[in-house]
Amino acid sequence: MPEKSISEMSGFEKAHYSMSSKIFRATLMGSIIPGLASLAIGLGLYTYVLVNRYISEAFNLSRSAAAIIENVENTELFADEVMTAYHSLSDSELEETGSEAYLQRFASLTKRQDYEMIRSIFYDLLESSDVDDLYLAMYDEKNSALVYMADADQETPLLPVEWEEVPLTEARKFLNYDDSGIVYDYNKTSKYGWICTAGVPVYRDSGEICAFVLADIRMDNVWNGMRFFLISFFIAMILMINLDAWLMTQHMKKTLVKPINDIAEAAHTYTKDKQAGAGVTDHFRNLDIRTGDELENLANVMSEMEKNLEEYEKKLTGITAEKERINTELELAARIQESMLPNEFPPFPDRTEFDVYAMMQPARTVGGDFYSFRLIDDDHLYLVIADVSGKGIPAALFMMACTIIMASNAMKMESPKKIIEDVNNAICSNNNEEMFVTIWLGILEISTGRLRAVNAGHEYPIVMHAGGNFEILKDPHGLVAGGMLHQKYEEYELQLEPGSKLFVYTDGIPEATDAGNVMFGTDRLLENLNQCRDGTAQQVIKRVEDGVAEFVGSTVQFDDMTMMCIEYKGKSL
Amino acid sequence: MLKTDKTADNGKYIFVLEGRLDTNSAEKMEAELQPCMSDAKELIFDFEKLQYISSAGLRILLSAQKTMNRQGTMKILHVNETIMNIFEVTGFTDILTIE
Repeated sequence: MPEKSISEMSGFEKAHYSMSSKIFRATLMGSIIPGLASLAIGLGLYTYVLVNRYISEAFNLSRSAAAIIENVENTELFADEVMTAYHSLSDSELEETGSEAYLQRFASLTKRQDYEMIRSIFYDLLESSDVDDLYLAMYDEKNSALVYMADADQETPLLPVEWEEVPLTEARKFLNYDDSGIVYDYNKTSKYGWICTAGVPVYRDSGEICAFVLADIRMDNVWNGMRFFLISFFIAMILMINLDAWLMTQHMKKTLVKPINDIAEAAHTYTKDKQAGAGVTDHFRNLDIRTGDELENLANVMSEMEKNLEEYEKKLTGITAEKERINTELELAARIQESMLPNEFPPFPDRTEFDVYAMMQPARTVGGDFYSFRLIDDDHLYLVIADVSGKGIPAALFMMACTIIMASNAMKMESPKKIIEDVNNAICSNNNEEMFVTIWLGILEISTGRLRAVNAGHEYPIVMHAGGNFEILKDPHGLVAGGMLHQKYEEYELQLEPGSKLFVYTDGIPEATDAGNVMFGTDRLLENLNQCRDGTAQQVIKRVEDGVAEFVGSTVQFDDMTMMCIEYKGKSL
Repeated sequence: MLKTDKTADNGKYIFVLEGRLDTNSAEKMEAELQPCMSDAKELIFDFEKLQYISSAGLRILLSAQKTMNRQGTMKILHVNETIMNIFEVTGFTDILTIE
């Protein structure tokens, strides 16, 4: 990662740093508890070892001292002298221990050579050890008094016959010593605080105890040792934990943060490249993550995903292109279909005897409805409206076939009956899809107003005779075309007098539904038509179109809507 | 929406239809009818609860009628006025047996 200031970093670069510091902090916090625990255990062990070392040193020193003085001097004799002097004192005199007079009284004892000898031996031993005091004393069980004989204390040595009160329970450990193990005791003194005393008895030749050599160790030493241990251990611990956290962070950066960052970086550039319109990318494929864990797995999955997305993209591009192609073709089909329907109005501007207007509104791009009108010759107008079952391209194709067959037959001056029967047979003979078409077909003799028509399953035409209302004409009905081969159809005649109108439509009009699923119906259709009795063919169609639009509102219609209106005006005078 | 209830008895099939048989439901109807057409001897449609039929529905009836013309009989029962009207307009009354 190049060196950057925090403000220059992107989001995931910052995340990189924050993750490292999180790992660092987590390692620190995770190490503190075990660190403190090991501190406590270490301190305990250290103290135990230290105390034991001091005690055994004190004990060994006292034992050495006892052995030396037993051999070098007649300790028994000196001890007895001191004890004799002690026992010679009355209780009240004993109370004065430590006073000037008391000490003066036994000053002669300190002048003795054996006293000096014992003291110098104790000094020498004391100097080369950690023990604080070494002294010779005897215990008086009667008064619970420890009677001093020779004290090697450097500062304030107790002189012979001086005594201190020591409870019998404590002294008993020493009195009952059987020459095995170590005997010691703790007690608190006003002068030195807590001290630990170890010692051994000195025996008479007869085997009785005549004195004890005792060694004192100040516990201050232990406290100091503990404090030293605590401070140095603590400093070492802090250093170790920090080092550990640092190492851990470095390790995690390499094995965790960097791979994650690489994946994030790859995703980042991948998105950027894709936005810039890159086709093939290999950001994830180029990742070299060999951590052997979930991260490697993630990188592999991402690489796989990159590959799959590429394939998907390719497929999608293909599908989109295909869809576009189909749409283009559909639009083209719709335009061809539209061009099949006469849609220039007025279609016959120089013919004053009649007026015709029509419209088709397909539910989809292409529809299954159709209408047509054309002059067969000067005196005959061919009119047709039809509705193919089904919708969309199949219906449109079917419709095209029907239109062409019927129009070419019409141009041969065939009768409506013949045209319908021919188209029925044509479509029945090769109709695997079972499609059918409803057709109303008429041929108007312009000079007379005589209309010959056939209805093959189509909606009833609506007729307005001159001066009257629009009314449904229940014309003879045949089966839909394409239903049964060789079906016969009935032709009928309708006389239109000048001023009459004929309105034909597909079922998309009466079956247009509103939001409540209510159909527009023929009654509403008639109502709309009758509002426009005096209108032109175009006005009539417009009226119905608006009427339907108002009725359905924004409800989507599923059927094509087609209608055609012919106004017969007759020969102009 | 269309609800269909089919009972079969040794080549005799009765379909009770409910709702609208239009472009949206025609496919479902066709799928249900298709497997019966191979061995149907008698095919009965009960239209008592059918509200509407579109040209897609008529196509199914026409197709079924053509098949049954070859191999048996087909009847349509309880046709309501709206549908009867559609049958009349489309000329289906000529080819269907309506009771």
